[in-house]
Amino acid sequence: SPQAATSKSPTAITMTDVETSIQPGAIAGGTAATILCCICAAPISPNPSNTCSSCLASRSDVTRGISTEATLHQCRGCSRWHQDAGKWIGCDLESRELMALCLANVSGLKKRKNEGSAGRVRLVDAAWVWTEPHSMRLKVRLTVQREVEAGGTILQQSFVVTFVVRNQQCVECQAAFRQGSWKSLVQVRQRVGHKRTFLYLEQLVLKHGAHRGCLSIETFKDGMDFYFPDKGKAARFISFLEDVVPMKVKSSKKLIGTDDKSNVSNYKYTNLVEICTLCKDDLLFLPKKLARHIGNISRLVLVRNISNVIHVIDPLTGQTGNIESDAYWRDPFRPVVTAARTRLTRYVILGKDPVYLERNVSKRGVNRKQRSKLALITAARESDLGSNDSQLEERSHLGYLMKSGDVCLGYDLRDCQMVDDEAEEARNGGKFPDMVLVRKLYGGVAVGEADAAKKRVFRLQRLDIKTGEEEQKSGRGKKGKKDVEMENLDEEDFMQELEADRDMRTRVNIYKSDIAVSKENKEGEDGSDKNEDEEDDDQKITLDELLDNLVLDSKPDAEDGAILGETSLDGGQGMMFVGEGERAAKDSIGYIGRDEALNIEVRDTAIPVADNIWGKEFLEKNGKFT
Amino acid sequence: MATRVAFENSNEIGVFAALTNGYCLTGINRSENFYSVFESELAAHIPVVHATVAGCRFVGRTTVGNRRGLLVPNTATDQELAHLRNSLPDSVVVQRVEERLSALGNIVVCNDHVALVHPDVDRETEDVISDVLGVEVFRQIVGGQALVGSYCKFSNTGGMVHPRTTVEDIEELSSLLQVPLVAGTVNRGSDVLGGGLIVNDWSAFVGLDTTSTEISVIENIFRLSGNAGGGGQGQQSNIVTNMRSSLIDQLS
Repeated sequence: SPQAATSKSPTAITMTDVETSIQPGAIAGGTAATILCCICAAPISPNPSNTCSSCLASRSDVTRGISTEATLHQCRGCSRWHQDAGKWIGCDLESRELMALCLANVSGLKKRKNEGSAGRVRLVDAAWVWTEPHSMRLKVRLTVQREVEAGGTILQQSFVVTFVVRNQQCVECQAAFRQGSWKSLVQVRQRVGHKRTFLYLEQLVLKHGAHRGCLSIETFKDGMDFYFPDKGKAARFISFLEDVVPMKVKSSKKLIGTDDKSNVSNYKYTNLVEICTLCKDDLLFLPKKLARHIGNISRLVLVRNISNVIHVIDPLTGQTGNIESDAYWRDPFRPVVTAARTRLTRYVILGKDPVYLERNVSKRGVNRKQRSKLALITAARESDLGSNDSQLEERSHLGYLMKSGDVCLGYDLRDCQMVDDEAEEARNGGKFPDMVLVRKLYGGVAVGEADAAKKRVFRLQRLDIKTGEEEQKSGRGKKGKKDVEMENLDEEDFMQELEADRDMRTRVNIYKSDIAVSKENKEGEDGSDKNEDEEDDDQKITLDELLDNLVLDSKPDAEDGAILGETSLDGGQGMMFVGEGERAAKDSIGYIGRDEALNIEVRDTAIPVADNIWGKEFLEKNGKFT
Repeated sequence: MATRVAFENSNEIGVFAALTNGYCLTGINRSENFYSVFESELAAHIPVVHATVAGCRFVGRTTVGNRRGLLVPNTATDQELAHLRNSLPDSVVVQRVEERLSALGNIVVCNDHVALVHPDVDRETEDVISDVLGVEVFRQIVGGQALVGSYCKFSNTGGMVHPRTTVEDIEELSSLLQVPLVAGTVNRGSDVLGGGLIVNDWSAFVGLDTTSTEISVIENIFRLSGNAGGGGQGQQSNIVTNMRSSLIDQLS
C-alpha cells in the first residue's frame, strides 16, 4: 500500500514489515498458542469453538431430533415390508432396499425448512447390527455429522436406531383371507360325460398362466368355476378361453349394494362360458348342409383337434375341414360316438399298404402331407386275435404311423349304437366303414402292462382346485369307486391323447418324470439304437420335448401362492440358511456381528472432525480490509 | 473484578459500551438495566454517560479513547458531540475524526500509553490519535486479523489476544506494547474479544455467557483479582505459576 511506503512516523511499523512477519498460513507456520478450554480449563490448541473435545462432545448433542426408535410393518402372510400408502415391498433381511426403508423411517435425518444450516445433519455411514432372531427388532448403526454452534466445528457421532417390527396384513393378503371377496365369476361348462376337455383346459391355463389373478378355482360335475377379484381379470380370462376353445358367453350381474347419493352401484358379475360338446377324437355325423359347407367333406368325420375352430378329418380320405365356432352354435349337434374309453376297442395292426389318391389340383389349400399319408390297414380286434380270424381292412388317415404289431384304438362301427336316425340309415345302407382308427397306443399301455400308466416318461403339472359345493354335497356319499374310476379313466384318456398327438403337446407344458430322468442317464451308455426304428412315427413322444423343471414336491402354482393364500415362506426372521451378514456383505453394507453387537453402545461420544480452517478468508486476503 | 452483563439479551457488550480509566460510555437502552450495572460498579469513581453516535447505540465500536481523550467518527452529530463534551470531565478531549473507516472501535485499540491501529488508516488519523490520546501508534495486524479493535484488548496492566495468534506473534506484540499478553476467549469460546470484553485498569465487564475459566484468565492477565493487597498478590502469583504455559512471561 502506498501509505505504508510513505509513512514516516518513527514508531509506525510499515506494511512491508508486517507482510514479512505474517504470511498466509502463518498459523500453520508459527506455533499455535495454547489456550484454556473455556469450560473445563484444560489446555488445548485453538479450534473454532475453543473448547476441548470432551466438553464439546458432552455439551452438544449431534443426534438431537433424530429418533432412536421407530416402527416398521411387515405382513405375516407374504413377509413383505410396508413402505407407504398401500405399497408393500419384498426384500431380504440386511439388504439394501430394507436399509433404505429403515432410513426413510428415521425422523430427523432430513433437513427441515426453518432450521438453517445448524440443523442439517449429514449421514455418513449406516450399518446393520445383529439382532436376536424372532426378536422382531431391527437395529441400524448410523453415523452422522453436524455443524455445532456457529463456530464451524463439525462433530461426528454414531448411534444405534432400533426398529420394532410389527405385523400388519397387506392388502393382497387381506383380500385372500376375506370370504366372498370375488367380484366376478366365470363358470365354464361343457355338457358331456367326461372331463377330458377340462384336463386339457387346465394344462393350457397352466402354460399361459391365464389363471393368474384368480382367487380360487372350483370343479363341478359339468365344469369349473373361476373366481376373480374384478371384472377386468375375468374379461381377460374369457378372451383367453375364446382363443382356445369354441365357446359362447352369457353375462349377468347381481346387485350387491347401491349408494343413491353418489349414484354408485356395487355388483357381482357372473359369466357363463359354454364350451361346445364336441371333443377330440369324437366321431361325428355332420348335418348335410354343414358337410357341404366345409368343402363337401363326407358326413362321417373324426374330430382331429379343438381350438377356437373345430378341426375335422375324414378318416377314409384324409380330407380335413374346419367348423367355425358360430357355425356350430347356430345348429349344435351331438357327436355320434363320444370317445369314451368304453366305446373304443383295441385293434392290433396286421399290415399296411399305401394308398394313392388322385390329387385335385384346384384344392391346393389342403394339407398335402395329410392326404398322402393315407394307408390301407389290415387289423384285427384284440379280442378276436387269438380266438378267430376275423380281420378288417380299412383305409385310415393314421395309416402312416402304423407298423404291424402296433396296438391302436378305434371305433367298431358294426356294434355301437348311433344316436342319430340318419346315421342309423347310413350304416344300414352300408355306407359306413366297419372300423375307424382313432389313435395309436404307445409304450406299456399298448402291450397291456398293468402299471403302464405310472411308467410314462412324462408327467403334467396340475392346478390347485377345490371341489365345488354341489359335488361335495352329493359326492360325500356317492364318491365311491365309480366316480374315482371315471376320473382315472378320463385322465388316462387324456394322457393317451397327449402321447399320440404332437401338435397338442406343443400347446401344453409337459415335464420329465422320474423314469425319464433315469432313462436320460442311461441313454448316454446305450447309444442311439433307438433312432432307426421310428422314422415313420413322427407323433411319438421324444425325450427332447419334455421340460425338466417341474419340482415334484412343490405345490402347484407356487408362484401364485401369495394370491391364493398359500405360501411356503417363513416369517420375516426365518433366513437361517443364509449366513448372518452375508446379504449385507453382498450389498456392501456394514454388518456388526453378534459378539460385537452385545458390546455396542447406544450412543457413542461425539468427536470433532478436523475439516475446516478457521479464518481462511482473512488469511487469503493477507490482512487487507477490502 | 470481572462482572457479567448482558445488553438486551446479547452477550456482545463491547459493542454497546466503552470503558476507560476516566469515564464510561453506554448506549441508550429502553430499560436501564445495562446502565445500572455500570453505574453500580463505576459511578463512585468515574462518570458513566449515556451516549449515541450517529443516533446508533453501538458506541463501543464507533468510539475509542483513553483517559486523555475520546475520538468519535465523522458520523457523530453535533448534538452528540456537544453532549459528550458536556458530560465528560474537562480533562478529556473529545475530537471528531474524519476517517473513511468510521468504526473506530474496531480499527484502533489503545491504553494510556500505546495504541495499535488497522494498517489501512490514514496518516492524518494516525496523527490525530497520537495527538489527542497521547499515545504511540503502531500499525499492526494481530494474528492475521486486521481489525485490531475487535480481536485484541489491552489495558495498562495486561492484554488479551484472540486464540489463533501464534506464540511468536504474541511475544512480538507483548514486547511492542510492553504489557503481558495472553491468548484467550470470551463468551464461551468466542474469538471476538472486542465485542465480549471491556476493561480498564481495575474493572472488567464480560458477556453473560462467559465461563468461569475465561473469567479467571481475564482476571489474571488484567490483574483484576477481587482481593486487594498481598493476599491477592500471592493468590495471583500462585495462579500465574500454575498457568505459566498459557502466559507470556513479562511480568517485571
